[in-house]
Amino acid sequence: MFLALWQGAVGLGLADPAFVSSPASVVAALWKLAGDGDLGPNLLTTLIEIMIAFAMSVVFGIASALVLDRSDWANRILSPFLTAFNSMPRIALGPLFILWFGIGIASKVVLAFSLGYFIMLLSTLGGLKNVDRDLLLMSRLFGASELRLFRDVRLPWALPGIFAGLRLSLIYCSAGAVIGEMIAAQSGLGLLVQSFSGRFDVAGVMAVILVVAFLVMSLTALMDLAERRLLAWSKGSTDVPG
Amino acid sequence: MDAAIDIRVADLRVNFGLPRDSLSGVNLGVAKGEFVALIGASGCGKTTLLNVMAGLVPAAGGSAIIRNAPPIAGRRDICYILARDALLPWRTVLRNVEYGLEVSGVARKEREQTALLYIEKVGLKAYRDFFPSRLSQGMRQRASLARAFAVGRSVYLMDEPFSALDSQTKLMLHDQLLGLWESCHATVVFVTHDIGEAITLADRVIVMAKAGTGVAGEISIDIPRPRSAEALQADSRYHDLYRRIWARLKASTE
Repeated sequence: MFLALWQGAVGLGLADPAFVSSPASVVAALWKLAGDGDLGPNLLTTLIEIMIAFAMSVVFGIASALVLDRSDWANRILSPFLTAFNSMPRIALGPLFILWFGIGIASKVVLAFSLGYFIMLLSTLGGLKNVDRDLLLMSRLFGASELRLFRDVRLPWALPGIFAGLRLSLIYCSAGAVIGEMIAAQSGLGLLVQSFSGRFDVAGVMAVILVVAFLVMSLTALMDLAERRLLAWSKGSTDVPG
Repeated sequence: MDAAIDIRVADLRVNFGLPRDSLSGVNLGVAKGEFVALIGASGCGKTTLLNVMAGLVPAAGGSAIIRNAPPIAGRRDICYILARDALLPWRTVLRNVEYGLEVSGVARKEREQTALLYIEKVGLKAYRDFFPSRLSQGMRQRASLARAFAVGRSVYLMDEPFSALDSQTKLMLHDQLLGLWESCHATVVFVTHDIGEAITLADRVIVMAKAGTGVAGEISIDIPRPRSAEALQADSRYHDLYRRIWARLKASTE
């Protein structure tokens, strides 16, 4: 529907193809990209950056949330710092990260991580809040250790919140990686965007953006699969008849 | 003589760190294998007393000794059944009933077999793979009982587990509990506000004083076992005991 409108507007001369391109041109650009052999290595670079940053965000984000949730003094000392860092627009720090970590993959990973980490931290903390006390009590009274309480009760309780965070974290890691590449890079989809952009090749830019979108959607689909299996128990639990 | 007493409470005082005592001067003993019901008006401290035995609440004075050792939360010889079923919502009935065994370190094969056995005893075999959200309250309490008795501990502390159920379901659960208990004969302390429930289940009913000043009276239930919750409803001994306990309860509020 949307594509038809788009193509129609350009065809009728309502929209200037120099500014908005057209579905047909974008498809042609995609084809050219794939054919040229440019796409492959750049896609791989971006994918690697996203995956590393995402993995680090998940591991460190969840671990930090656990520490902050269980330890009152850690919370009081670290919270102000974390809030301060999170309030800074890290995208604006992009050029600084390039300066500090170089033009290679590292700087993009750091930028993406700086976005994804806080998202995982906050969503995990949210999920851990207000764990049902009866469940903890029951578990403790059967003889569960602190580790068991975490593994059997706190973590499953927090899982819905964690999954929500995973989605957002993935999206922001992707954004961080691509935008970092747009600032300065040796390789990557963001670099492609910049070069097309510099040549005013709107179709090219759109084509690359579509590739990024497709990449993120595929990864999200994998997470959906995992979520559906792990959270099968809560399906329908908030449905109310009428 | 001493070896036959599993629970000994002497001059117990509880104040939760506050100036006013919630409980004071509590003295009672429970013999090994005895089923005792603790009954009393709201605020008499019966659940607090249970929680002291479970190691959840500290004593400000006096003592509570369970099987010759002080109370500690998570003791492997004591099982506490909460008022709410506390089934883990992300586990099926089978995995929930297995949970107590899992925490106690029982191996997987044996765990599953024991759990299935107890699921069958409480009549939930058809629901073994259901999640708790799909079960009725009565079924959830049955699963909770199965979980508790599957671990087979020496002392069972129960905090009004059936108070949220309708009277018909309650009778059914009384029979289930009696069935499970009669095959293991653990020492039980059962808190309730339901006189009929106390008579049906217990060997002895202890009435607690409303003011939190300890035991107001004890009544022996000399109805022979095995008992049937339904049959008792028509039994004159049941109704006699009901009158006596009701009078004692009323007196305890003065």
